[in-house]
Amino acid sequence: MQTHKTGIISSIKAFVRDPFRMFGIVSVVLLLLLTIAPAKDYFSQWHGYQRQYLRFIQNRGDAVTLRRHFEGGIQQIWIPQLGVVDRCQTCHLGLTEASLADVKEEPFRAHPVMPHKLTEFGCVICHRGQGAATTVKEAHHSEMAGEEPILPARYMESSCGQCHQEPLEGTPKLNKGRVILSRYGCVNCHSIVLPDGTKMEASDNPPPLTHIADKTTREWIYAWLKDPTSYSASATMPNFNLSDADASDISAFLIANSVPQPGDTAEVSAESHGPAPDPSAGASLYGESFCASCHATQNAAGNLVGGDLGPELTNVGTKVKPGWLVAWMRDPQKYDPKTPMPQYRWSDAQLKLISAYVQSKTNPDLLANVHLAAATPAQIAHGKKLVIEYGCASCHEIPGVPKSDNFGPNLSRIGSKPVVQLVFLPGMEHTLPAYLAQKIRQPRSFGSSFRMPRYNFTASQVDEVTTALLALTDRSFSLPANLQLAAVHETNYRPAGQAGQIMTSLNCLSCHRINGRGGDMAPDLSWEGTSVQRQWLDDFLKNPNTLRPALIRRMPRFNLTDSERTILTDYMMTVYQTAAFQRDEMPLTGYPPELVEKGRQLFYSKYACQSCHIVNPNEDKGYIGPTLTKVGARLNAAWIFHYLKDPQALRPGTIEPNQHMSDDDARALTAFLMAQKTGAGQGAKR
Amino acid sequence: MPSTIETYFDKLERTRVWKSIFRSGKGSSTLHNALAIQQNVFLHLFPTKVRKRMLGLGATWYLGTLTLGTFLVLVVTGILLMLYYHPSVPQAYSDVKDLQFIVSSGLFLRNLHRWAAHAMVFLAFAHMFRVFYRGAYRAPREFNWVVGVVLLLVTLLLSYTGYLLPWDQLAYWAITVGTNISSAVPLVGEKIRFLLLGGHLVNANALLRFYVLHTVILPISAVLFLAIHFWRIRKDGGLYVRESEPGAAAAQPTSEEQKPL
Repeated sequence: MQTHKTGIISSIKAFVRDPFRMFGIVSVVLLLLLTIAPAKDYFSQWHGYQRQYLRFIQNRGDAVTLRRHFEGGIQQIWIPQLGVVDRCQTCHLGLTEASLADVKEEPFRAHPVMPHKLTEFGCVICHRGQGAATTVKEAHHSEMAGEEPILPARYMESSCGQCHQEPLEGTPKLNKGRVILSRYGCVNCHSIVLPDGTKMEASDNPPPLTHIADKTTREWIYAWLKDPTSYSASATMPNFNLSDADASDISAFLIANSVPQPGDTAEVSAESHGPAPDPSAGASLYGESFCASCHATQNAAGNLVGGDLGPELTNVGTKVKPGWLVAWMRDPQKYDPKTPMPQYRWSDAQLKLISAYVQSKTNPDLLANVHLAAATPAQIAHGKKLVIEYGCASCHEIPGVPKSDNFGPNLSRIGSKPVVQLVFLPGMEHTLPAYLAQKIRQPRSFGSSFRMPRYNFTASQVDEVTTALLALTDRSFSLPANLQLAAVHETNYRPAGQAGQIMTSLNCLSCHRINGRGGDMAPDLSWEGTSVQRQWLDDFLKNPNTLRPALIRRMPRFNLTDSERTILTDYMMTVYQTAAFQRDEMPLTGYPPELVEKGRQLFYSKYACQSCHIVNPNEDKGYIGPTLTKVGARLNAAWIFHYLKDPQALRPGTIEPNQHMSDDDARALTAFLMAQKTGAGQGAKR
Repeated sequence: MPSTIETYFDKLERTRVWKSIFRSGKGSSTLHNALAIQQNVFLHLFPTKVRKRMLGLGATWYLGTLTLGTFLVLVVTGILLMLYYHPSVPQAYSDVKDLQFIVSSGLFLRNLHRWAAHAMVFLAFAHMFRVFYRGAYRAPREFNWVVGVVLLLVTLLLSYTGYLLPWDQLAYWAITVGTNISSAVPLVGEKIRFLLLGGHLVNANALLRFYVLHTVILPISAVLFLAIHFWRIRKDGGLYVRESEPGAAAAQPTSEEQKPL
């Protein structure tokens, strides 16, 4: 065996036997190993990028400037109060170089124009990722400590939403997503607490199911439960993927559980036996009443036409019972006290016309194949169990089924959920945005035991909701107070007294906004009493005509009685006043003709108001702003004067430009406009 | 001028200060050499005499010494790491990242600590295998073997407690699993887990406890047991050589081998 010893072994033996040589060699090896540390630093990724950057700018025309701006070594933005330690600029060297805007490839691109300074917020607050890291992998994709990887650009708006709770002009996606969260009732099951401590409110007006049997049939409920979109393409009710038996049992329970409401069904026989009304008269009453401002119907091409404040009416005749419809149209609040639908005060004849017209909108195929056997008590009991299990009472009012708080998981901080806490489907991208999008698109794909229903969202809607959810981060709760920009919340304003009762029955606040509460379809009425003249308001309520011919939507006529109108007019003229100035501080008439003439010249030359407004209907072409042909009989002089001085102070957000007029100019224009009383274009260009 | 230096040292060794520190006195006799070892607080743990043969690589492969060496590397790098590390939930991870990304040679320091830790576990096991297969655990060295086993456990615990300190997902789940295992101990399992974590969850308390274990309690116990371990080597008759065992008494060592160090 000795003879087979190789040279290597013998040399090792020699090496081991000589301690001095061994010491020397080990020392040299150790020294070599120690050089690894500085070498690793020199060949680090960020050093590489900085060298690459210097080579990159060498051949550019702006090389001298860029080189002067360049600082080697680790670059860092440190903002202790925000917890920001961002070293992104160590590699992203051109972020603040405007002249590098033409560069396409990272990491040397200039940052696109943004509303905040880079040094004010750093990078990670918006882009997420690891600001402290100086390698691409760690900075962009690390999730070892539950950090967030870089946020894909399509969800970038969500970062704005961490501070900005109010809708911003530059974040349409985020704004829409937030509207969807309220409008589709997501927040009925999932509570979302905003950083200011308030809860996000639902705005979906789910109908109460207390008297559902008065309104519709069990067959319709069954068809609706099976697939809401088969009845109405714009349904906000999601699909629960119910089996036939489950849908049948739930419909049985809802019908059996319904409490009849006196007045909902009393007129069924009387109404249905009347003579068949003229269908075209019904259609024109539907048009005159501007039902389409709130309700959509599908046209022949399959497109939805109309507003989305009320439910789609394409197939409503298949759904509602005729007697219920008449009672509803006579007084909607009797059936649903929270409905946004106004009480139209139609006459009996009109009621017959309009209900027959609405009833004629049917889809006979919908219920053609629905045949339900009479329900057994066991089925009804099972239906109730399902109603509780699926959390129907989270949205709908159902007698005997209490609304459970926090039915779904709380989503107040969903945007910061660590990836390691998520369960992904095979083949899915392992990121929070991908998880959220899939959960919204196909909630049950994560397992059949999940109760969350499927909404009929388009791809862009899924993006919008995901964006809104990603804005709900831990960071938004830990921001310094000066960065927390709370949303403007609805007040709980209610008009008082007799006028208040009338306004409640008319649901003025469904379209108009008054003192911080109400819709955005029609003008804000908070200062209407200062703005308009009493006679005009009275005439307008009698027969509302449009001020903006380019708009399709307009105020419906509510058939108010003379006394109702007087009460409303008096109330609005007295209560809805601004404190900024006196309504009557300027006279309605009696302006000297030379002042009117001066105003005319200012109107047509200096300020060129005719580009948006019409005073002389024969010559002016402006359609952007309201028509001013009779403005002298509509508005008060003081309002016009102050509005001209600063439009946005009286109507926040109006596109009327602030011309910073002198008092003299504003007074002359007011005189000219106050002269426009009859629509003949007095004093206008001849 | 070697004579000058020698005179200088001579003078130095005769001073009172020198004598008060090094008590063995001047001289190169066997007694003097033995005293130099025996009267030094660090060296007295070791045998005063070692067979020269036992100093060669083949005798022990230096496994015990290398384990001690890695331990010393760990102490030094660990103390340096402590200069940058805060054992608190919001800072622990970012401190580790800072070490990795911006502290000068921080990555080297951290990696050295990490690899030395791996090496120490490996070397401790190798040392024990070597001792076991050589039969060096037998009388009169049974107690030292037990001390060695304790030291192995301390090494493993040091390794385990250090694992939590980066406070990343890997650490978090490793400690979650590990402490759950400890709760499987009959009767007192849950108590042990509670004691380790300072609560029922892996959170800030657990981080602090593991930090204190890793940097204070376990290193001190390691040093203590190391002292016993080395001292027992001397008391048990030096490093194990087969010839020194009763069964191998017939084989006489050569005179050169008995020459003291």
